[in-house]
Amino acid sequence: MSTRSVAAEAGERELTFAQAVNEALAQEMRRDERVVVIGEDVAEAGTPFKVLAGLVDEFGPERVIDSPISEAGITGIGVGAAMTGMRPVVDIMFGDFLTLAMDQVVNQAAKVHYMSGGKLRVPMVVRTTMGATRRSAAQHSQSLHAWVSHVPGLKVALPATPADAKGLLTTAIRDDGPVVVFEDKMDYQVCGPVPEGEHAVPLGVAEVRREGIDVTLVATSSMVRVALAAAELLEGDGIDAEVVDPRTMVPLDVETLVASARKTSRAIVIDEGYRRYGVTAELASVIAEGAFYDLDAPVRRLGAADVPVPFSPALEDVTVPTPELVAGAARELIRGGS
Amino acid sequence: MATEVLMPALGVSQETGRVLRWLKAAGDEVASGEPIVEIETDKVTVEMEAPASGVLGAIQADEGQDVPVGRVIGLILAPGEAPPATAPPEPPPATGGRRASPLARRRARETGVDLKAVAGTGPGGAVTAADLDAARPEAATEPEMSPVWRRMADRVSDSWASAPHFSLTRDVDAERLVGWRAALGGDVTITDLVVWLVARALERHPEVNARWEDAAPRPVADVNVGIAVAVDDGLVVPVVHGANRLEVREVAERRRDLVARARDGSLRPEDVQGGTFTVSNLGMLGVDAFTAIVNGPQAAILAVGRVADRVVAVDGRPSVRPRMNFTLSCDHRVVDGARGARFLATLAELAEEPLRLVK
Repeated sequence: MSTRSVAAEAGERELTFAQAVNEALAQEMRRDERVVVIGEDVAEAGTPFKVLAGLVDEFGPERVIDSPISEAGITGIGVGAAMTGMRPVVDIMFGDFLTLAMDQVVNQAAKVHYMSGGKLRVPMVVRTTMGATRRSAAQHSQSLHAWVSHVPGLKVALPATPADAKGLLTTAIRDDGPVVVFEDKMDYQVCGPVPEGEHAVPLGVAEVRREGIDVTLVATSSMVRVALAAAELLEGDGIDAEVVDPRTMVPLDVETLVASARKTSRAIVIDEGYRRYGVTAELASVIAEGAFYDLDAPVRRLGAADVPVPFSPALEDVTVPTPELVAGAARELIRGGS
Repeated sequence: MATEVLMPALGVSQETGRVLRWLKAAGDEVASGEPIVEIETDKVTVEMEAPASGVLGAIQADEGQDVPVGRVIGLILAPGEAPPATAPPEPPPATGGRRASPLARRRARETGVDLKAVAGTGPGGAVTAADLDAARPEAATEPEMSPVWRRMADRVSDSWASAPHFSLTRDVDAERLVGWRAALGGDVTITDLVVWLVARALERHPEVNARWEDAAPRPVADVNVGIAVAVDDGLVVPVVHGANRLEVREVAERRRDLVARARDGSLRPEDVQGGTFTVSNLGMLGVDAFTAIVNGPQAAILAVGRVADRVVAVDGRPSVRPRMNFTLSCDHRVVDGARGARFLATLAELAEEPLRLVK
């Protein structure tokens, strides 16, 4: 899939999102022998998405550990290993299965540093997936990043590009606390320029993916691509959209989101989690609080429909925001109408 | 006892003045006679002096605000004196009961627009920022007009609408005028010479040195000749008072001072008041001849064209002579055709033979 881009800058080449994740892990495992990977089908299979392909060949089964099907168990092993000096990367194949690991994540990983009076740390990464439209039905298609974003003590990253997939995972592995990284399974084959060598993206720094003056599209993960496509559609209508990618839910770069909304006076938040009580609600609130007196329209939210993700492709496709949907919402905000 | 600082009346017909800049801040000590604020009227900008010594108390007019003449714009308090209780400030325009975006609400508050008067095109008829912009195209363009331009527009409209205009033109030989100017030196302009000649001609024709006031022509004793001066933002007409009693060089000196101050906006009220006749010269811009609008309530205005070599008949033969046009516009209620023609004849003769006047 990888093709060299003539436009790639020096020290960059085009990699798929999956290759970028793989490279980050390989580089960190070479750099620091405390970094280990544990999860279901991570070794020989290289995960169902082939993201970890080849790691076991270089680092061996002692550092790339295939586990039984037991999310609670492997996450607990990760918390214990992290507290005792390792830097585990726990692979939760589908974000939907986080539910099984929630006690370890929410009540252990997130709390240990605080409850030990700072004597213990949990430098653990939970890598997991999100995103619908893979025809994987209701139990393998959810985007549950709001659940962990709700809990103090956890950091949450949502890389949207191959470069950020590498950069944010690298930073997450080096972080001294627990970080949950959500990768959209529909992004794995997306290509993009990725810096060679060491590449760490700080947590809590949003990226303006496209500058504009008429409306701010705040988009996370694969919705960044949707928002950029919507911006192209809007350009045909003479509407100049700005696309802002927060990159991490926690910590959240409130300043950049608010500054953009104040500049354009309109904002739409697009995220693939369920709309109800979700990430869009939080981001919209933060924007409304910070930019209230500069807003010319209510902050709109576009998320996954509040239904179990249907197995029927025709139905599944209408549960997630599309470029047309985003562009339509933007036109409504700008031109009025009820 | 607090002394009130009042918006001064700087001109007869002035109704409001603009607080341009406070030179002192609230709490500053001021001495009687010390400039404390710059006031701009449609004609001039002046520094206003403190009416008493003390401490400048509550400033009651913001910079840029237009205030009716006689209204209190500030207080000067005796040392230690507390400012008197003042009425609470006027509430901002009511916005309740009207759907509007937060941005539209804020803009409306800042610009003093009543949201109820704005048609909303947002969801449910809510007023958006764009609706506010669309609702006040005039407000958007109004600040573009300077007080000078507004005053000029008002005055020419009034004159054109009320004074029945007619104009008389004479083609004048300018050889002597040009020679005279050369003899006087570079600081003296054709305009100076014309102003000086006009003043002498007006002495001889007091019926032209007159105003239409209270439904009758009324001659004026003083000969005060106004000079139309183009400034960046319009037209002002400073006045050479008693021009008939001045030497040419004195006229020139006075004209230089007036024009300089017209251009930098420092004319005083007395500089622009009391004119009895106006001279407008567009010759330096290449104009051959034009008709001007009478500067009411004056009776007439002289439009001066450029000096240019033209072929004319002299003693039955073609001859190349420096010539110029004088066009006299008159308010027919004060100056009829014959009176205007006689005045113009005198002026033309003086221009052609100015040495007759120089003893």
